Amino acid sequence: MIRFAIATRDELWLRGRLSETRLSHGEAIHDASGITASDVADDALVDASGRDIARMRELVPDDARVRLVAIASTEESAATMTIGIRGMFVVTSPEHARDDEEMLRAIVAVEPPVESMVDAIDYRGIPIVWHNGSASVLLHEAAGHPLEHAHEPIAWPSWLDVDVPLRMRRETFRDIPLLRMTRLTARQHGAPFELPAHRIDVLLVNGGFYEPLTETVTLRIAAADYQGRRLPPFEIRESRRAVAQALTGAAGDPIRYPGVVCSREGQELIVGSFAPLMITEFS
Amino acid sequence: MTEVYRKQGSVVRWENGTLVRVTESGMAIEDGDLFRCFPEEGGRPARLAGETPALLDTALQKIERLIIMHGVAHHECDGREWRDETRRFHMSLVNGRIRALIDREEDVERIAEALARAEQNEREAPARLRLAPNVTAALLPSLVGLAPPNVELLQTAGGVDGKGNPIVEAHDHWPNWYRPSYRTRPVRMPLNLQLRCGVTAIERDRPVAVALLAPPDGLTLRVLVDEGRRAYPATVRVTRIDAVGEERTWYPYGGGSFGAEMML
Repeated sequence: MIRFAIATRDELWLRGRLSETRLSHGEAIHDASGITASDVADDALVDASGRDIARMRELVPDDARVRLVAIASTEESAATMTIGIRGMFVVTSPEHARDDEEMLRAIVAVEPPVESMVDAIDYRGIPIVWHNGSASVLLHEAAGHPLEHAHEPIAWPSWLDVDVPLRMRRETFRDIPLLRMTRLTARQHGAPFELPAHRIDVLLVNGGFYEPLTETVTLRIAAADYQGRRLPPFEIRESRRAVAQALTGAAGDPIRYPGVVCSREGQELIVGSFAPLMITEFS
Repeated sequence: MTEVYRKQGSVVRWENGTLVRVTESGMAIEDGDLFRCFPEEGGRPARLAGETPALLDTALQKIERLIIMHGVAHHECDGREWRDETRRFHMSLVNGRIRALIDREEDVERIAEALARAEQNEREAPARLRLAPNVTAALLPSLVGLAPPNVELLQTAGGVDGKGNPIVEAHDHWPNWYRPSYRTRPVRMPLNLQLRCGVTAIERDRPVAVALLAPPDGLTLRVLVDEGRRAYPATVRVTRIDAVGEERTWYPYGGGSFGAEMML
């Protein structure tokens, strides 16, 4: 028999005012007959989630849309802040909230063009430089999810090492645990790197998706620059093999990317994501 | 004004081979701009309604996902009390790179049979096409505000909404509230949509879109077209509606949706 207990608090703050607050708690007993779950409280976990949410409240900026989520369970705990400004957002922690908020403000300070006035860029044939650890989102979809689905391995550049621990995880006491990523760390060892003059600089990714039937990766790029101007949001859609073949270089140590809330089967989980500065070129 | 809502319920769910029984109860309070919710003691038992359906696994297709759920809930809101019972079925069937979405057990056989014959490559959708009720039901929420003038999209009267008020017939300015969980802030939206058209005769010899292959993207549908001798994936952009049949079946899309055969 396995006992899982969890307490979750979440709050939505709009321009410094509390708009929504939720408490959820419960336990799930998993035995041969299945899972029996109820909303009984584990007081220690409820208290722990309360301490984390109080800590995060201190960091809420008064001009943003901010969702705070504090999770304390028998398997893991997490305190996350989703800070949104002008339609873009980062997912961060109390430890990194100030730095990530500053990064977000710098990104949104550049006005994007009106989408209807500009043709979407065809990214194929143009080198893409992935800043701020954002290549970890690409690898999350192209390398992490295929592992969860036990898809056959593919060839990656010899200089690339992708560490993706998997574990049975669940979002709430009502959910069935699934084999999910806990973290993704990409490292380069002696990778080639030359910053192309003509390039797209990806700054922020708005989300991604892996379709297991076709092994297709879709990434929505929220903020990227090209030849000194901000691009309207665009989508990258490629097979995971094309992603592996497109990786042409990398430099430096892994950088923490603020923002991977991974959703599968309706269960949203935080996956820590790290990647060095990387270059891809899709043909 | 402060509004208090309470819900107690139990759900039994069969999900990809695991039986899950959940009992919970909670309270939501809306006080001006602030929404609060939290668990409250007390729960009521439920039992699983149906058996696992006969699984239609063949060499060509497989069940990717199967969820069967039965729940009962007791609600209280501002002195009104009501009880409801919910049954849900969801299956995704796969043949190669094609995934068919099924949300009613009675549709499984028809869709599985067409899917087993399906070609893998997408073809252009026929100019004259029928949509099966399960496909139109998924489309209706996207038609709000966009329905062509020869059809009438309306909320069907019957039952109660998320605040315990009677659901009334309505065509716009949606008067009722949708609240799928006590943890969700209620929102005004159309419930139990249906579509009426002056023309109700359906030409039976048209090819039929029997299943959704992906959730609707606005008025664009990726569907499995069955022409009888062959079946194939196609993308349909709904720009005009020629007829809507009179026999309707309820599906759990949006705030509820009654699907009927439709001719494009």
